[in-house]
Amino acid sequence: MRPQLTTIVRIVEVRSFATLLFVLGAAACGRPATGLALGEELFETCTPCHGANGGGNPEIAAPGIAGLPQWYVETQLQGFQAGFRGKHADDLPGLRMRPMAISLREDDIPSIAEYVASLTPAFAPSTLHGNAGAGAEIYTPCVACHGTDGLGNEVLHAPPLVQMDDWYLLQELQNFKHGARGAVTGDTWGITMRVNTLALSDEAMEDVVAYVQTLR
Amino acid sequence: MIETLQQASSYAADIDGLIILVAVLTGFWFFVAQGVFFWLIFRYRAKPGKKSKYVTGREQHLTRWISFPHGLVLVCDVFIIVASVNVWYDVKQRLPEADRVVRITGQQWAWTFQHPGSDGDLDTDDDVYVVDELHVEVDKTYHFHLEARDVMHSFSVPVFRLKQDAIPGRSIMGWFRPTLVGEFDVQCAEICGIGHGVMAARIFITDEAQHAAWVTQNTPNR
Repeated sequence: MRPQLTTIVRIVEVRSFATLLFVLGAAACGRPATGLALGEELFETCTPCHGANGGGNPEIAAPGIAGLPQWYVETQLQGFQAGFRGKHADDLPGLRMRPMAISLREDDIPSIAEYVASLTPAFAPSTLHGNAGAGAEIYTPCVACHGTDGLGNEVLHAPPLVQMDDWYLLQELQNFKHGARGAVTGDTWGITMRVNTLALSDEAMEDVVAYVQTLR
Repeated sequence: MIETLQQASSYAADIDGLIILVAVLTGFWFFVAQGVFFWLIFRYRAKPGKKSKYVTGREQHLTRWISFPHGLVLVCDVFIIVASVNVWYDVKQRLPEADRVVRITGQQWAWTFQHPGSDGDLDTDDDVYVVDELHVEVDKTYHFHLEARDVMHSFSVPVFRLKQDAIPGRSIMGWFRPTLVGEFDVQCAEICGIGHGVMAARIFITDEAQHAAWVTQNTPNR
């Protein structure tokens, strides 16, 4: 017996509706709600510069970020969004990073920071040739916030230094000194750090970075 | 209001006029051509008992369907070319005397604007560098030096109807004269990497007093 036209239409309608529900459901389920899974998905935006493992790429001044604490990654992304970082004409890597941070939604930041924190730090080899012995003395005032072991202190918003690339540490010390970082009203912790860089010469910066590398 | 429809520069209306002229002339011929096509399809549609006829298209009464409109379109082209050259000369080849000069630098993925400080001159110690914010005074003619630090960018201000490529290694000079007070979009119009889509800035057009106050407030003490 041949089915009636109205029956066929109904079947088509039901199937179309089911397909629509499936597509909408898939779209809704396609984006993890939160946590590591969402962070991993969002991190795809970061991989062109920071690499799939978060190891960074010094050729384009993209630092290794793998394994940095979640709180630190969060505050830095928020800092980029607020204009504390990446809004100075001489901070070219920061200018590249800021629009990437701005493109993140506020509630996405914890997820991506959690994912970055879950990656294994790369501990990139040294690229500078500072005097670590002289740097030990220069590091003395840094101990108050970053600790004798260079592992940082969340309460004081001081990040761990030991896993950071030496070229990146030098670059950021110079940024602090020249006002490309830590010079915006409201950036309390950045301003605190900047004060401590004003008296450092380029040589002293290389020395203290060399010392930090020995803390690994 | 749709921001991009506002005309905020001295030549925005000329460019809009040119676009409208091109749209009207080409639109007219588009609809005429489509009308003729559909009329021919309807007029010579398949009919029972009537055989189709092959035509070479070389007969004079047929070639006229091409040659006459062709001639008329060429006449329209002359109007478009004359208007285009006029606008192109005014916007790109003429350089009116500047009241102010600014330097615009594109880099992945931000715009840096170098404004003259309180002394009114560019490339002096009191220049004001601002990222992603261009501050200009209404009804003043500005020259800009457009540069790129890394890859090609394109400085685009939709309300000015201004778009100029920025090429690494070159300093390209252009001009604009803001005519409308307000805050408008600046965008990059040349694919320049993963952050191209968010390489946006704002242009702030203010009156003389407000602009002077901004310059005074932001001129560095050196």
